Amino acid sequence: MDAQNMQKAPAVMKESKNKIKVDFERTPLKERLMAKFGSLFFVQKVVWFIFRLVLLVGISYVILFPFFSKISGSFMAPEDFVDVTVRLIPKHFTLDIYKAIINELGYWEAFVNTLVLSVSTALIQTFVCCVVAYGLAKFKFKGNNLVFLAVVLTMVVPHQTLQLSLFMQFRYFDILGIFSLLGGGVIESLKILPFAELNLTNTYWPMIILSMCGLGFKNGLYIFMLRQFFRGVPDELEESAYIDGSGVFRTFIQIILPLSVPMMITVFLFAFSWQWTDDFYTTLFFTTTKTTLMPDIIDIPKSLEMNYAGQNLYYAAIRNTCGLMIIMPLIIMYLFCQRYLIQGIERSGITG
Amino acid sequence: MTNTKTAAKSAPKNKRPASLDRKKARAGWVFVLPFVLGFLIIYLPIIIESIRLSFYRIKPITGGGFELLPVGLQNYQEALFVDPDFVKTLVSGLKQLCFDIPAIVIFSLFMAVLLNQKMFGRAAFRAIFFVPVILSTGLIESIDAQNIMSEYMEGSEGINDGSGESVASELVSAMDVERLFANMKVGSELVTYVTTMINNIYNIVNRSGVQMLIFLSGLQSISPAIYESCSIDGATAWETFWKITFPMISPMILVNGIYTIIDSFTSESNQVMTFISGVYEQADGNVISSAMSWMYFIIVMLIIAAVAGVMSAYVFYQRRD
Repeated sequence: MDAQNMQKAPAVMKESKNKIKVDFERTPLKERLMAKFGSLFFVQKVVWFIFRLVLLVGISYVILFPFFSKISGSFMAPEDFVDVTVRLIPKHFTLDIYKAIINELGYWEAFVNTLVLSVSTALIQTFVCCVVAYGLAKFKFKGNNLVFLAVVLTMVVPHQTLQLSLFMQFRYFDILGIFSLLGGGVIESLKILPFAELNLTNTYWPMIILSMCGLGFKNGLYIFMLRQFFRGVPDELEESAYIDGSGVFRTFIQIILPLSVPMMITVFLFAFSWQWTDDFYTTLFFTTTKTTLMPDIIDIPKSLEMNYAGQNLYYAAIRNTCGLMIIMPLIIMYLFCQRYLIQGIERSGITG
Repeated sequence: MTNTKTAAKSAPKNKRPASLDRKKARAGWVFVLPFVLGFLIIYLPIIIESIRLSFYRIKPITGGGFELLPVGLQNYQEALFVDPDFVKTLVSGLKQLCFDIPAIVIFSLFMAVLLNQKMFGRAAFRAIFFVPVILSTGLIESIDAQNIMSEYMEGSEGINDGSGESVASELVSAMDVERLFANMKVGSELVTYVTTMINNIYNIVNRSGVQMLIFLSGLQSISPAIYESCSIDGATAWETFWKITFPMISPMILVNGIYTIIDSFTSESNQVMTFISGVYEQADGNVISSAMSWMYFIIVMLIIAAVAGVMSAYVFYQRRD
C-alpha cells in the first residue's frame, strides 16, 4: 500500500502565488485514532497521568486539610462542638473567637512588635549572610575552610543545647570584658561607663546582635545556600569588573548583589517567616510580659472560658484560631512571593 | 584577628609577589569578618561555657545571684543512671530518628521527581507543597502537637473528647495491609514500616519541604542533553531514573540526609529535645539538662559522621573542574 502511494503523484487541488494545497491519500481516521490512542504507550501515559494526579491531589489534601479544619473551627460557636451533625460547616456562625483574640489578647500589639522584630532581623540576616557567603565562595584565603567548618558547626549544634549559656551571655552582656574593665571599677581611673554589664534581655538587641554576626536562627543554612549560589556565578563577571577598575566591594555591591536578588528574596522569606513563628528565642530573651510578641497571644481569652462537655475541643479551636491569626500575614506574603521562592532555589543549583 | 592578617600577608612571601591575590585574600577576610568576630566573641564562649557548666552545679545565694560548685562528672552520672526517663527517651528518640530519616529522604526525592515533570497545574502543586516550609515551624508546630481538632474533623465516630486518639482517623487500616503483605510473604517489619509511614504521612510531608526544594534544584541542574541521548539509545524511564537521575542526584541525597538528621534532632517536636527542655524548666535541673544535651549532641554527631562516611562512598561526583 505504501509503495502504491509513493508512485501516485499527489493531486494538486489549488495553487496560488505562494501557496499550494495538495491532496494526499490519507490513512483513514479510524486507523489513525487507533494508532494514537490504542497503543500501549498511550495507555501507559494515561495511567501514569491519573496515578500522578491522584497522588498529588491526595497529598495536597493532606497538607491543606488542617488549614480548612482550623478555619471552619474558628467560626464555630461552642454549641457546634457538642453537635454530632456538625463537621466542617458551622451551624452557628460566629466571629466571637476572633473578636476575643483581638480585644483581649492584644493581637495588634503583638503583630506590630513581631513585625518590627522580624523585618529588622530578616533584613540584617539576609545582608550579613550574603556578605559572609560571598567571602566564603569567591575568595581563596588561608582559613577559608576553617571558617566554613565553623558555619557548619553553628548549624549542627542545636540552640536548645546552649539556651542557658545564651541567656547568661545576654543577661550579663559584655564584649571581651571591655565593659567590666571600663565600668566595673577594677581600675578607678578607667571608670568611664556607668555600668559593668548590660542587661539586654527583654529588648530586641540579643536577636539583632546574633543576626549581625550571622548566628541567628538557621543562619548556617542561609550561608550554605548563598555560598552555593555565589559559586555558580561565573568568575569572568568579576574579572571584567576588576579590569574596568572597580574594587572588590564596589563589584560586590554593583554587580553581584543585583544578580542575586531572587536568591536574596528566598533567604529573606525564610528568615522572616521562621523568625515570625519562632518561639525559642522570643521566650528565652523576653522573660517579662511587657513586650507582647506572637507566642504570648496563644491563650484562652477570659470571656470565652467555660466549663461544659465540648470544652476541650473548643479550647483547641481557640488555640488553632490563634495559630491561624499568627500565620495569616505569612500566607498573604507567601501568595505573593512563592514564585521567587521556587525560582531562587532553582537558580541556586545546590549541587553538593 | 591580628594573627590571621599576618598569615594572609606572609603567605605570598614564599612565592612570587602576587599583589592581587594578596588583596583578594585580605578582602575575603573582610567579607567573613562579621561572622568570624561573632563566632569568636559570642558563639565560642557560649559553647565553652555550656560545656563547662555541665560539670558544675548552680547553687542560688539568698541575696540574689548564684554560686558554682564543681561536681565533676556527677551531672552526667545523674542523667544516665539516676534519672529514670532519660535513657529510655534517648533510645526511643534515636529509634524514631532511624525510622524518620529514610522515610523523609525517599519521600522528598519521589515528590521532587514528580514535581519536576511537565504537567498540568505544576506551579499550583509546587506552591502547595512548599507551604509547610513556611508555615509549619516553631509556634505552629507546637500548637499542632496538642491539636485534637483535625482528628475530630476527620473521624466518623462521633465526638472524640480529646482524651484518646480516634482510631478511625488512621489513613490505613493496618490490619488490611498486613494481611495483604502477609500473603505476599514479605517480612512483617517492612509491613509495619510501610503502614506507620503511611499513617505518618502528614508528619513526613510537613518535614520534607526544604529537602524537596534541594532535590528539585539538584534535578534542575542535570543537563537535558543527557536525558535526550538516553532516550535516543532506547532507555526506559525506569532505567533512566536509576542510571542517570539517581547517580546525578546522589550528592543531594547526602546533603539531604544530613540536613534531615540535623533538622529532626533539633526540632521542637523531637521527644528528646522536649524532654531536655522539660528538665531545663525544673528549678534545680538546669545543669543536668545541659549535660544531657551535650551527650545527645555527641551521639547525633557520631550518627552524622557514620551516615556521611557510608553515604559518601557511594556518592557519584560529576567532575567539572
